[in-house]
Amino acid sequence: MTNKMKYILAVVALLSATIMQAQDSWEKWGPTRGMKGAGVLVRAGYTIGGTTPLPLPEEIRSINAFSPKGGATIGVDVYKMFCKRWGASMGWHFFYEGFHTSADVKNYKMSLTMDGNTMSGYFTGTDITNTDMWGMTIPILATFRISPRWNLSFGPYFSTYFKKNFSGEVYDNEKGVGYLRVNDPTGEKVNIDRNNPATYDFSDNMFQWNAGMEVGFDWKACKHMNVFAKLDWGMTNIWEPDFDAVAFRMYPIYATIGLAYRY
Amino acid sequence: MVLGVFSLSSCIKEEPMNAECDIESVSVHVDNPISIFHHEYDTLKVVGSASDRIVFLIRSQENVSQLPLTLNLTSGATAFIKDANGNFSEFKNGSLVDFSQEREQVFRVLSEDKNWNRTYSIVFEHEIPAEGDFTLGFEDYTLDATGKYYEWQVLDAKVANVFTDGKWKNGNPGYKLCKSSAKPMEYPSVPVVDGGPDGSSCVKLETKDTGSFGSMVNMRLASGSMFNGIFDVSNALKDALKATRFGSPFTHKPEKMTVWLKYEPGAVFQDRMGKPMEGIIDEPDAYVVFYRNQDESGNEVMIDGNDMFTNPHIVGLGRLPHNLNEDGSDKLCDTPIHGLSSTWKLVDIPVVYQKEVDPEILANKGYSLAISFASSWQGGYFQGAIGSKLFLDNVSLYCEKDEQ
Repeated sequence: MTNKMKYILAVVALLSATIMQAQDSWEKWGPTRGMKGAGVLVRAGYTIGGTTPLPLPEEIRSINAFSPKGGATIGVDVYKMFCKRWGASMGWHFFYEGFHTSADVKNYKMSLTMDGNTMSGYFTGTDITNTDMWGMTIPILATFRISPRWNLSFGPYFSTYFKKNFSGEVYDNEKGVGYLRVNDPTGEKVNIDRNNPATYDFSDNMFQWNAGMEVGFDWKACKHMNVFAKLDWGMTNIWEPDFDAVAFRMYPIYATIGLAYRY
Repeated sequence: MVLGVFSLSSCIKEEPMNAECDIESVSVHVDNPISIFHHEYDTLKVVGSASDRIVFLIRSQENVSQLPLTLNLTSGATAFIKDANGNFSEFKNGSLVDFSQEREQVFRVLSEDKNWNRTYSIVFEHEIPAEGDFTLGFEDYTLDATGKYYEWQVLDAKVANVFTDGKWKNGNPGYKLCKSSAKPMEYPSVPVVDGGPDGSSCVKLETKDTGSFGSMVNMRLASGSMFNGIFDVSNALKDALKATRFGSPFTHKPEKMTVWLKYEPGAVFQDRMGKPMEGIIDEPDAYVVFYRNQDESGNEVMIDGNDMFTNPHIVGLGRLPHNLNEDGSDKLCDTPIHGLSSTWKLVDIPVVYQKEVDPEILANKGYSLAISFASSWQGGYFQGAIGSKLFLDNVSLYCEKDEQ
């Protein structure tokens, strides 16, 4: 036998072994009771991500720092399989997520209103933002078994927040440039520097609800334990409908990796 | 997925073109600046972001019919000059411009992105020498161009040159930034019709709360103020003391200032953080400073909120009495000695000279005169009592008579 033959045989042997295993594994890795069973998953994961305009507007010139704050998700999913491959699940997750960012902006249109006073115009300089959100998400997903041990799930989610923070400050960039042109680019120039930055807090202008799409993968690591990764992609603006201090819509995009216990 | 978030910074779009269209400074090149100007530094004018009329004060109208002019614009912007027929043509730096007969030359600046433009005028005014003695009564006031707050003009051409742009300056433009909702009569410096000791209009300076925007930048109050010089609103948030620049060139040696004043201190003195300070009574301020306006290297000197009493170029000073510490710093206490009350009083503020005044330098505008009033004497540090009110009227300056 040539080496080539040996190699082909080995691959065939390996493949058939895998298929054999896969064939009887649909049962082994299936839901706890039969192929159409239902079950419960308890999930815990580490969440990171950010809240961002998409695409980035041209006013954002560079991102100097982007550091997601370590977030967390815990929750329960109930699922029901309708046939060998298809099922549905619904969850109830609690989360904390947040990020810190520093960006250089140019002619960034902004408007602040406090106590009936408005300051608006175009800011050029550095903008520091801190965001934190504590809340609850309900994903309603279709699940698809790609293979005995791999599940794909996707569908919409709905979130509500218990506590939210979107605050930061603006000041001069590394070149010492930091100013607001009042009302429009021909208005008074107000210089702002890091020794006396202007702070802002838009926490109360964040919308109470968010909805988007979730896509997730589960891998059945052992009889009761899944390893999972999911991405929640916000499709609704984080700002209240009439809020215009930030000239663009922003979306939360957060990923979670973690472990799930299967009952 | 996580990578997707991190790679956002690779989605930075191309830089947008500049939207601003300022003349940042104007300069003229002449071989012998002193033949036209009083100081060499007068050949360059830095233009504030809010001003659109640029005035060069000159000794004589000779030799200004062909001046090579240089405009320093926002990067990418283009300047156009208006000709006699009202048409604009592109202006190239260094081109000769006719400023004879106080002709006001009009320029239009177009931003790099072509969406914005500003119109400026540049004029070379033959300076009318200021008279020594004057009295100013605060009768001429109007709303500013935006209709938000009052401004006081000095219309008498013989005194107007002591006031940059022919106007009294105060913190009202800064207050506008913090309190966009304020009505004109709610600003720190306001006119009082028929309120003066002689029955004519006077001025009320009142220390005001600056609201949420003020506390956002740690400037919780605004003292009412009135002075001659420059209030650089662009730097009011960055460095308020430095943004308040006092004085204008003056060719007479002041001996004393008299002014009608009355004062009502506000109830609670607060520190910069807004915390009440027990046992301190707010005090007003009124002073006149005479100083050399050029240093040894020929650079312009202008005193500001940091050094209006301590700048080494000061030659003479007169101030409302205060309790001061031995090192000259201000002592905050509950026993003011300014002697003012809520009834009008004519106050005499003599100028005390620490240095000689050189008559030659004096005649060539080498000294500047600053006069200034405030409703809270520590207002520059954003300390004071909200509601402190200083009323003032009929400021008179008396100068030495035999100097020329």
